[in-house]
Amino acid sequence: MPVSALVGMEALSFRYAGSTTYALSDVTLSVERGEVVLVAGRPGSGTSTLLLVAGAYAPRLVGGAIEGGLSISASRPSIVFATPWTQLTGLCRTVFAEVAFGPASHALPRERIRALVGLQLERLGVAHLSTRDPATLSGGELQRVIVAAALALEPDLLLLDDPAAELDPAAADALYGLLKETAAEGVGVLVATPDVERGARVASRAIVLEAGRVIHDGEPAGALA
Amino acid sequence: MIGFRTGRSPLHAAHPYTPLAIATALLCLVFAAQTPAAIGIFVLAGIVLAIAGSSLGYVAKPALMLAIPTLVLLFILHGLLGPEPRHALGPLHVSDSGLTEAIVLGGRITAILFAFLTVLATVSPDRLVEAMTERRVSFGATYLLVSTLTLVPRMRRRAAQILEAQQCRGLRLGGSPLARIMALGPLVLPLVLGALAEVDEQVLALDTRGVTSGRVRTAMDPPPDSAAQWAIRWICVCLVVGAWAERVRPLLMLIHPHLYVACR
Amino acid sequence: MSAAQVSAGLDLRWDAVSHDYGAANVLSDVTLAIGAGESVALLGHNGAGKTTLTRMLMGLVRPKAGTVSVGDWLVAKRRPDQMAQRVGYAFQHADQQLFARTVLADVSFGPQRLGRPVHRAIEVLAELGLDGFTGRHPYDLPAPVRKLVTLAGVFAMEPAVLVLDEPTAGFDRGLRALVIAALHRRISGGVTVIAVSHDLKLVDAVSKRSVTLEQGRVVADSIR
Repeated sequence: MPVSALVGMEALSFRYAGSTTYALSDVTLSVERGEVVLVAGRPGSGTSTLLLVAGAYAPRLVGGAIEGGLSISASRPSIVFATPWTQLTGLCRTVFAEVAFGPASHALPRERIRALVGLQLERLGVAHLSTRDPATLSGGELQRVIVAAALALEPDLLLLDDPAAELDPAAADALYGLLKETAAEGVGVLVATPDVERGARVASRAIVLEAGRVIHDGEPAGALA
Repeated sequence: MIGFRTGRSPLHAAHPYTPLAIATALLCLVFAAQTPAAIGIFVLAGIVLAIAGSSLGYVAKPALMLAIPTLVLLFILHGLLGPEPRHALGPLHVSDSGLTEAIVLGGRITAILFAFLTVLATVSPDRLVEAMTERRVSFGATYLLVSTLTLVPRMRRRAAQILEAQQCRGLRLGGSPLARIMALGPLVLPLVLGALAEVDEQVLALDTRGVTSGRVRTAMDPPPDSAAQWAIRWICVCLVVGAWAERVRPLLMLIHPHLYVACR
Repeated sequence: MSAAQVSAGLDLRWDAVSHDYGAANVLSDVTLAIGAGESVALLGHNGAGKTTLTRMLMGLVRPKAGTVSVGDWLVAKRRPDQMAQRVGYAFQHADQQLFARTVLADVSFGPQRLGRPVHRAIEVLAELGLDGFTGRHPYDLPAPVRKLVTLAGVFAMEPAVLVLDEPTAGFDRGLRALVIAALHRRISGGVTVIAVSHDLKLVDAVSKRSVTLEQGRVVADSIR
């Protein structure tokens, strides 16, 4: 496992609490700065679990147990789930406040937060929604807002679970292009998606999971098979 | 059931702590009051609060829908089944002390309903979060208070979505009592299961936004406060302390006679 | 009664329909007709009015102006549970309807309410590759599988009209292929299908006609 890896897994297995089957089995992989790593697999193959483990959200928040080696040197992981409406804080009445919530939790100065939020809203093409109530947004608009919120945290490791599920094709292309730009800025990006063709266009590497095991780790074309 | 709605009333513009303090003070004072006349004053105070929030019409219906059945029940339990002496009230024989008890208890509930439903209608949850953040209240306490205030509107929205989904599967609302009971499962179970799943999702969502960072949150847009509002809140505190001091003074006799004499 | 017999003669009409949610106009004077057995894709950006238009078929939204009809039924005179006898509506966010202890029980719920054969639930589950999940609790399943379960619930009701709001969002190629095959079978049987979707692969595979909405108006209506 490279010393520079943001996340490294060595023969890692993971089971959810109360489950007899492993959600992840004997997984060895790493994610480095500047990479876009595509994670593909059928529902139930462990793609979402991989993201949760890589971001140190599992087992900490969802329970379960890890066997094997896990090292996370990323100091600021940020995660986006496939269901944007479950990621709203429920405490903010405007999109701006919603995106600012994360940086505010990290006690950044107000002006810096305003600049960060403005930048990410522009990049995701949702600046015109900044005064809207997040609860009134369409699925696609909300998904872009949630991605903006994740980027506003200035992560060094960005984890995304089907981030374009709610987007129309043009917006999905723009989002994946943005992920490539974000990686070029030095962020490690791990994106799980059933939209393998789109993901493969921007990924530098692809991992395919089946029943929790890695069956391919290499060229993105391997995920298209 | 109601939730926050935007407006331009004095309560909407006030620092969120102010209407909360007034409503909480009213809650404490109404339990210190013992007579129907005193209770009546607090019911009036609750109504005045709703008017100050430009929310009387919005608040009165749910408040009365809850208060009136309660008053009727209290009248039956205390008024009709209460102890002697009794007097005739039309065809009914009503207990004097029982009727007083019913009015006092029912009036308390009515006053509290008007006051707190007004708070729900006029205190914006996000402004409350910002106010508490500015005062460096822990995020845990902030979230507990705000999520309690927003619980009903959130559950109501979810319930409406579930209702639609089940109707689209052929579930008919209404009908015989048995049919209505049978309809509860498909309506209530997704609400409960969904609410439990939502708790898990909220924990993840908030954690991913850094609420467990251990740092003091930045208040982005704290609501303005004023010396007058500060004074109102302190007056509320003094009124509560004064009212309850008067009530607990006789109890001091039980602790030590000198304490009772000292407080006279 | 098979879907083909039920759908014969059923067309869908929106006549001069307008609607708003307070200040925002959502639909403006929309007139649209879909013939029995047609398969139509409803396209447009988020917020164009597609979902509002389809919700009107179930009576979940009553237009401020104009009328909506499904065959000889004027929707304004019917309740949503009555419209369910003719229209199967698959919501975009599926979880709000799952309540039963098993997948089979949940999928059987709709057919039971409508007096349709319950054994169809088992057939539909097999059709969608869900026969291994019949005894599982829906909430134990991954999100895409839960969504497929709710689709199965709609298919099992054997509606003459299917309205699908983003039916393949979050699905991989395999799941999408299952849904496309299931839709092809129903279209061949004469079921009218309306798909609101950004998934061009789905749209290309099942829709013969596309109607595009923009800011509450029909801006394009063409055969694909």
